[in-house]
Amino acid sequence: MEPIIKVENLWHIYPTGNVTAVRDVSLEINPGEIVGIIGQNGSGKTTLVKHFIGLLKPTKGVVYVNGKDTAPLKVQQVAANVGYVYQNPNHQLFARTVRDELAFGPGNLGIPEDEIEARVDQAVKFFGLEDFLELHPYRISFPLRKLVGMASVYTMRPDVFILDEPTTGQDNITTQTVYRLIKRLRDEGSTVLCVAHDMILLAEVVDRMLVMRGGDLIMDGTPREVFSNHEIMSSTHLTPPQITTLSLKIQEKYQSFNKTVLSIDEMVSEVQKSSQS
Amino acid sequence: MQGIVIPISMVPGNSIIHRMNPLPKLAWSLGILALAFATRNPAVLGAAFFIGLILVLVAQVGKAYLKVVMILFPISLTLITLQSIAPAFPPPWTPIVGFGPFTIYQEGIYSGISMLLRIFSMTTWAMVTIMTSHPSDIFTSLKRIGMPYSLNFILVMTLQLIPILQSEFGIVLNAQKSRAMKGTGFGAILPSMVPVFVGAIERVQQLSISLESRAFGSTGQKTSYRQVRMTFWDIALLVIGVLVTGSTTYWVIVDRTLDWSDTLVFHPVFAISLVIFATLGFLTFFVLALRQVLKA
Repeated sequence: MEPIIKVENLWHIYPTGNVTAVRDVSLEINPGEIVGIIGQNGSGKTTLVKHFIGLLKPTKGVVYVNGKDTAPLKVQQVAANVGYVYQNPNHQLFARTVRDELAFGPGNLGIPEDEIEARVDQAVKFFGLEDFLELHPYRISFPLRKLVGMASVYTMRPDVFILDEPTTGQDNITTQTVYRLIKRLRDEGSTVLCVAHDMILLAEVVDRMLVMRGGDLIMDGTPREVFSNHEIMSSTHLTPPQITTLSLKIQEKYQSFNKTVLSIDEMVSEVQKSSQS
Repeated sequence: MQGIVIPISMVPGNSIIHRMNPLPKLAWSLGILALAFATRNPAVLGAAFFIGLILVLVAQVGKAYLKVVMILFPISLTLITLQSIAPAFPPPWTPIVGFGPFTIYQEGIYSGISMLLRIFSMTTWAMVTIMTSHPSDIFTSLKRIGMPYSLNFILVMTLQLIPILQSEFGIVLNAQKSRAMKGTGFGAILPSMVPVFVGAIERVQQLSISLESRAFGSTGQKTSYRQVRMTFWDIALLVIGVLVTGSTTYWVIVDRTLDWSDTLVFHPVFAISLVIFATLGFLTFFVLALRQVLKA
């Protein structure tokens, strides 16, 4: 299978302050993969993903999206394939109404009006925005604004969906919508890259995790592999979800329990198995 | 966006000018401002500009200063083009040479050169002051000489908001480009400006609440974390600044012989070359700037 994103020896050095934000990173992401990108603040996560939409150009190395080198392409050209949801929705919302906001992206891509309308309706239902459609985006609450930000990219139907800290500062309802969104995108065959500190979210929804530290990609593995790697977790000062930590502690004490658990349901099932055996 | 940010903020350094108290620097800058408006004499304005350039070198802020000049110079060149054909002098004007449908006038060339030098003498001194003084130090010093605390604070916050808004504009522009927005024309301004201004208003609202909750506006003596000392040399330079710029301003006002608009005769070849250079210089800048905007 052709990777949808291919990164070859990517370096990014910010000219201001001469900071090396990404150091010799190579990776491939296949279509339909749900990938979490973790690391401390300043580890290079956002810098890395900004190359996937052409917002940043490599200092060295090459980034291919759908087989095309992004360096000579404008952001607007890459945006047809890659959608980027900003951490702060205030950076992207400007339109007079939520409806206009959702129609802005597909309009830029030249999508026919009836198709835009259908996409907007679908997004409104999925994100639960029915009551806010004619309101100005700045008149609704911040969590809802965040959903509008996601919906405004969702209507563009990109092949790759990049979510930058989708659950930070969100209430439970919005967080649940983010979970549903990622699962839906998975069902629709989209590729999702999720930059996040929310380990519970990542444990539940991603297939693969990339761990960044000081600009280096230090691990590429499944959530189970990453969370059970004590050295990686401690060196990046990251903490697995509590249920995973509990399962790791149990593994230390009881060798019969040998599964790194990612969710409460998994733990319940493991305990049931143990009690039966 | 990074390409069009104008660096009008302090450039860290430890030059002799950086170490000076901001008050003498402000006094000199204001004095040069008064002098520049009081005369059209190119020699006086050129001298003020030249001394300013020496200060730029001494302060080691040449790189940041050049960034400002690269934007200001081509724009200022329009003054020469416009003034040469329509001088800011009472008619009658003395024609030098024809230039297509236009006539280039003696007074126009004189006025254009004077205005260009006026802008550059004022800006150079002002840039040296801004680029070598911490904003808080400027306002702490002004407070010492009786400027109201609130007014001071408003000015500090305004200065601090400029780079924040510039950076915010860059982020917002990227966010809109990510949604396939064409980054040109009026259509690009609205999607980018609304979030920046709404963000600025929200920031100011939050700031006002945050300030009040930290006792801003309380009465009584206030203290400052940054201490600005006024040495003997600072006082001496302040006094010298006021005296030198004050007396020079007085001299240029009273001495009518400094008006060289009649005596300084420009050769037609010089006049036409200058106008062509100024026009082409501005047009090149305009095309390059347009390309930069279209590329964004």
